[in-house]
Amino acid sequence: MSAALTGATIDTAGPASPQGGRTRRTTPRNTLTPGAGVGLGLAMIWFSLLVLLPLSAIVARAASGGWSQYYTVLQNPQTWNAVQLTVTQSLVVTLINVVVGTVIAWVLVRDRFWGQRLLNVIIDVPFALPTVVAGLVLLGLYGPNSPIGVEWAFTPNAVTLALAFVTLPFIVRTVQPVLEELDTDVEQAAASLGASRPTIFRRIILPSLVPAIASGAALSFARAISEYGSLVLLSGNRPNQTEVVSVRVLSFIENGNYSSAAALASVMLFIALLVIVVLDIVQRRVARRG
Amino acid sequence: MSIEVRGLNKKFGDFVALDDVDVTIPTGQLTALLGPSGGGKSTLLRIIAGLEKGDSGSVNIEGTEATHLPPQKRNVGFVFQHYAVFKHMTVAKNVAFGLEIRKRPKDEIEHRVQELLKLVHLSQFSHRLPSQLSGGQRQRMALARALAVEPTVLLLDEPFGALDAKVRKELRDWLRRLHDDVHVTTVFVTHDQEEAMEVADEIVVINEGRVEQVGTPDQLYDEPANDFVMSFLGEVTHLGGVSLRPHDVEVESSPHHAGSIEGTVSRLVRIGFEVRLTVLTVDGEEVSVVLTRTHARALGLEEGSTVFLTPAAGATVIPRMAVAG
Repeated sequence: MSAALTGATIDTAGPASPQGGRTRRTTPRNTLTPGAGVGLGLAMIWFSLLVLLPLSAIVARAASGGWSQYYTVLQNPQTWNAVQLTVTQSLVVTLINVVVGTVIAWVLVRDRFWGQRLLNVIIDVPFALPTVVAGLVLLGLYGPNSPIGVEWAFTPNAVTLALAFVTLPFIVRTVQPVLEELDTDVEQAAASLGASRPTIFRRIILPSLVPAIASGAALSFARAISEYGSLVLLSGNRPNQTEVVSVRVLSFIENGNYSSAAALASVMLFIALLVIVVLDIVQRRVARRG
Repeated sequence: MSIEVRGLNKKFGDFVALDDVDVTIPTGQLTALLGPSGGGKSTLLRIIAGLEKGDSGSVNIEGTEATHLPPQKRNVGFVFQHYAVFKHMTVAKNVAFGLEIRKRPKDEIEHRVQELLKLVHLSQFSHRLPSQLSGGQRQRMALARALAVEPTVLLLDEPFGALDAKVRKELRDWLRRLHDDVHVTTVFVTHDQEEAMEVADEIVVINEGRVEQVGTPDQLYDEPANDFVMSFLGEVTHLGGVSLRPHDVEVESSPHHAGSIEGTVSRLVRIGFEVRLTVLTVDGEEVSVVLTRTHARALGLEEGSTVFLTPAAGATVIPRMAVAG
């Protein structure tokens, strides 16, 4: 076939760029118009007042005690257990959400069934509900004398349950719009090239969803490690068993131990940053691979 | 042989997209499915590809009964109007996709991808992402991707519809030459009669879910089966109960021919070498006429002149139907 193919010619239209040009990201030069300058300034001031300054203050306060401060705080077995519990449960719940959230988003976008619109609205309820109420709701079903025979309240399972409840909408809501925008032409193109349904999902759909899944996962994890309200009722805050970091921080503060509270808070800040960065790296990798 | 469609019906709710369609598309040719938007031509193409299922009827591709085969098993190449590129893959990866699915050896894939990219003149773009290509380039990439799996038939759904006029014309010529070299049975959908006439070996005119006529571009233009085909392939006017092309109306300043129809020039527009007349006949009919500048000058035509009209000798003339536009 190839020998005969040289006959057809066409002008290579379109913008030409350096050969083998892979996208290289360059920092854009300063192109701010006066209006944009004001906007950026406002954004930075707002962000600083609300986020940067308070965070810096916490880190500064924690750091004033030196490394030993961190060491002492984490040395405390009760605190260490709380950190472990919080981080593990948040990771577990985020993982569950990655799978379940994507499935729910898929069902909401791709399938047509009775009650779909209702479900679409209800998805946000766990997010909209005051967290204490969320705890109360769960306590009704999974608490003592559970009507379905699952008495998980005041056990580590209660932490999983509560966190899963409050973080449910994040991945659904980040994946849903992306899935809606996804062109079914592309899937059909893959099918006519011989790709099976699972292959199409893995190689065509998933890479498009990964950025959304990753940002949903980051939100979900961040929300999980900071959860307080729903846990107070459901987990019972039993030291070394169901006590999470936010409760621990509160009790530090109640005992007037501000520097320990600050140290623990900045440890959690570091963990949150770490997870967000890792998710971003994973997302870039997967999205590139295809 | 090649693609045989028999008794195909397809409804979307109440809307009849295809109404008992029989059509045979010859092997190795470039065939156009031509018709107005919503006429069912894309649906027919998608059913041939297996992307849509007919309600009844059968599809046979190169002797293989394909009616119930999924798209994966039909070995057809499909090119979409909006390119359907795999956004997250480089140009080379896009083209390699079908071969990777078929688990061909790595070096064979690489070789074939290079060959195809050369064919579509995208060799130097192989490491780019589709978002860095122009529309025409993306469509050429999509074509290379479809050709990579050596399809039995290549189906193109309004392949140049999303491109601007200049690129469209370029790609159209290029598709014709490509087909002359590759000879894969190719079917493309278009609503642009000029595109169909220029590129296709054979044209299937489809309107309101039915095949109106099948034939070569010349056959369709010279011997249209009905008023619809005639009016879809070019301008049509009506004179004394027949439909004919405006340039096939003979204009005279005195009644030389028996049966010529008298009228008055109500409007005269000159566009370059061409003069367009609107003639109001004594029967109250408005007839459009096109003639050359030279001819019009020789006749001394101006608005208000009395003229006598007859169908020119050898003109394509068909009896006028009620629905004529």
